[in-house]
Amino acid sequence: MAATTPAAGSNFLDPAALMAIRNLELRARTVVEGFWHGLHRSPYHGFSVEFTEYRPYSPGDDPRYLDWKLLGRTDRYYIKKYEDETNLRCHLLVDQSRSMSYGSRGYSKTDYARTLAATLAWFLAQQGDATGLLTFDETVREYLPARHRPGHLRHLMLALDKPAAGATTDLAAPLRRIAELVQKRSLMVLISDLLAPPETLETPLSLLTAARHEVVVFQVLDPAELSFDFATAARFQDLETGRDLFLEPTLARAEYQRKLGEHLTAVKAICEKLGIAHVQLSTAQPLETALFDFLKVRADRGKLVRRRAAA
Amino acid sequence: MSFLAPLFLLGGAAIIGPILFHLIRRTTREVTPFSTLMFLQPTPPRVTKRSRIENLWLLLLRCLALALLALAFARPFFVQPASSQPPAEGVGKRSVILIDTSASMRRETLWADALGKVEAAVRKAAPADEVAILAFDRTARSVVSFEEWGALKLDERSAAVHERLKALAPTWAATHLDAALLQAADLLDQAAKDGPHPREILLVSDLQEGSRIEALQGYEWPRGLEVELLPVRATKLANAAVQWLAEGEETGPVDDEAPPRLRVTSSAESKREQFQLRWGDASLDVYVPAGQSRIIKPPKAPTDRTQPLSLSGDEVDFDNRLFVLPPQPLALPILFAGPDADDDPRGSLYYLRRAFPKTRRQRVEITAHRSDEAIPAFQLQQAQLLVLSDSAPAAAVASARGFAEAGRIVVLPLTSAAGGATLARLFDQPALATPEATLKEYALLAQIDFQHPLFAAFADPRFSDFTKIHFWKHRRLDAAALPGTRVLARFDSGDPALTQTPLGKGTVLTFASSWRPVDSQLALSSKFVPLLGAILEQSSNAPAQKAQYIVGDEIALPVADAGFTIRQPDGSDVKAAGKFATTDLAGIYAATTGALRFVVNLAPEESRLTPLTPDRFTALGVPLRKAATLSPKADPKREAQAQAAEVESRQKLWRWLLAAALLVLLLETLIAGRLSRSTAVPHQATP
Repeated sequence: MAATTPAAGSNFLDPAALMAIRNLELRARTVVEGFWHGLHRSPYHGFSVEFTEYRPYSPGDDPRYLDWKLLGRTDRYYIKKYEDETNLRCHLLVDQSRSMSYGSRGYSKTDYARTLAATLAWFLAQQGDATGLLTFDETVREYLPARHRPGHLRHLMLALDKPAAGATTDLAAPLRRIAELVQKRSLMVLISDLLAPPETLETPLSLLTAARHEVVVFQVLDPAELSFDFATAARFQDLETGRDLFLEPTLARAEYQRKLGEHLTAVKAICEKLGIAHVQLSTAQPLETALFDFLKVRADRGKLVRRRAAA
Repeated sequence: MSFLAPLFLLGGAAIIGPILFHLIRRTTREVTPFSTLMFLQPTPPRVTKRSRIENLWLLLLRCLALALLALAFARPFFVQPASSQPPAEGVGKRSVILIDTSASMRRETLWADALGKVEAAVRKAAPADEVAILAFDRTARSVVSFEEWGALKLDERSAAVHERLKALAPTWAATHLDAALLQAADLLDQAAKDGPHPREILLVSDLQEGSRIEALQGYEWPRGLEVELLPVRATKLANAAVQWLAEGEETGPVDDEAPPRLRVTSSAESKREQFQLRWGDASLDVYVPAGQSRIIKPPKAPTDRTQPLSLSGDEVDFDNRLFVLPPQPLALPILFAGPDADDDPRGSLYYLRRAFPKTRRQRVEITAHRSDEAIPAFQLQQAQLLVLSDSAPAAAVASARGFAEAGRIVVLPLTSAAGGATLARLFDQPALATPEATLKEYALLAQIDFQHPLFAAFADPRFSDFTKIHFWKHRRLDAAALPGTRVLARFDSGDPALTQTPLGKGTVLTFASSWRPVDSQLALSSKFVPLLGAILEQSSNAPAQKAQYIVGDEIALPVADAGFTIRQPDGSDVKAAGKFATTDLAGIYAATTGALRFVVNLAPEESRLTPLTPDRFTALGVPLRKAATLSPKADPKREAQAQAAEVESRQKLWRWLLAAALLVLLLETLIAGRLSRSTAVPHQATP
């Protein structure tokens, strides 16, 4: 898809204002429609046309899928069931560990991650892609297989809305689990802050790539984490371990940023090595740009594939 | 500045606490949650200049609060500049020694003991000390004054005092202790004008319960004055006394047969209950339990009633004699000059005869003179009052005039408008007009001069209501007509009701309305008798005599040109006129001429011999000197400590220090609060 640079953020909603919308689905729709609006493209409804069988109509089903010919013939209502063969199978992996519950702008990284996941789910659902969900902290919390059914999106939103139990960050077990659960090749979108030692990240991610999934990593970080802009001396408490440390932030900032930089570089290196697309996001960024980055990544991937195919 | 509890100052070491905290505790308690500490390492906290200065002020405040608390607990006080310490050399004490010379000091060896104590006190006096001695019973009299003391040489002092004391002796008078103490205090106060001396009063007395001490209540004793009690104690305290209850004598009914009433009192320490009362030959056994009194009739009086009654059976003797002699009534003849009949209720004489009851004190005889001749001279001489009717003949009026000029009172009740002629003749003046006044219904007495002796008895609000007396008719007197007239009462119309006009040495009392029932209700009212009695008393100038006087009382004598010669109980004669004051002995005082006599007895309070306890004096506010402590060894140190404690408890500096500490803490809280509030706001990290 031709990716034009989105208009300079002024049209996009400030995440803080977005978070004011309580309903996750509404948030997602706002972002996507805002995105399309920014790109001056109209959405299109596409669905696969592989017909499989009829299903009797029950109230609540989408009347779009009613078979009118059959209705005319038998005077009964039937829904056409279609093959779930879609363009894409996508799984959203959302980290809900406690380190994600940090937020300096009034909303946490988890809120941002959820909104991002919801946005992607909506977008993909509109595209006709099957979307699944896996939320985890150190174990798997929620799992929804990738489907493109009416009502599945709602399930996704509900599952995303569930409050995070939150414990430590451990990617190994959940990623292993998803690798077991998902057999078919799909797109794995990992939304996490990846604040764990880089060594511990490599193995789980390689599991996914070894299973020939396409992996995109969204590293969500809080601006305070990025800049470490604290002024007064205080006891800093680790949200996951509970350990606290007294320090002077003005003195510690330089060291912190150096270390953070090293960490981020290491993570990027790992992703490069494994062929994973890595997008670094700040929770201050409007979600539309995140969506744009996602599409850019896909587009680049497509180019890469075509080049390889061509080559 | 010194401290009562200096060990508490060690508590000031607690100041080290805030200093330590200030140095050590740099970490704040504020927790900032953060996602991960992976990239963070502990850094040593940096103390900014601003925080150090803020904290320094807080540190100082906290240290100050702790220091103030430690000081407060140590109870500091300012050492008094030696006012309670003994004065410097050369400043002597001033003492007044009071020696009791009342009747109770006659017992046993009390007087000798008292003299001994006085002489001991005089001997103890330092060379710079000044001593004055006062002897007191009813009044205090100086034995040795400060000036006399100052004039004596050092070695002469004891001898001179001894001489003076030898001349003293106990009298028979009562003990007025309060007056004596106050007089001594005043004496010291006066002498204290020239510089500070420690002052003391030494009281040498038997301190009997019968001493009068009431007047000490509420007296503001001068500061620095101390009273020391030097009691003399008697061994025998069991006393019984007999007292004549003579108050009823003057006003009781005239009954020569009624015997005088006596009260026999027995003290609480009495061991016996049977006493004997003897009067002449007759004796009577009296039974009185200890601590009680009984009222009895005396035994049969002897022919010579001037003999005293004597009580026997108790241990103390001086108060066992009593003189009982009923008063002789004075004969007071009154003349009435006028034609009124004796038993005519429409006339004035009728009421006059009934206005003077016969009492034990006076016997009034009213003689009516109805003839046209002048009143006989002897009658005039003996009469004490003359009542002139305004229809009396001219000769009678002339006699009345002479009577008044001699210095008595003539009473003239006006019965008709023609009374003015009699009035004029009395004063030897041209005719005076006394027209009949026209009244609506009746007149009332409106203005009464209660200052005048005649109405002095009515001055009390209970008796001053004259409005019940209606005057149906009265004559109008002209107050200005006769010179020197004083209006004693006026009617409500303003006309004079009773006037007093001087005539020669005497006066004339003119009633504008006589007391006949046709004129007024005066004779029928309750004010008539006292009014006439007052007039008679004024006229006769015989003061009311009491049946019994106490030793030391002043007796008012009747007015007589020559005065009286009074024979005292010891046989000596004394001339007196107006007042007789030398009633120093108990007994019967009689005038050598005439029937005047007085009975003088001991004060009944002198028989109450139980000694007073010092707390009676303390309760009245007398600054008694505290008794000396037992062990002189521990004394100075403990006394110094007690003094220090007393000074501190007066100054109470710890309260101020505590208040200051609280203020400082409050200030510290406010400042710390304000500081923490100002730092709490920028605590959130800037994005």
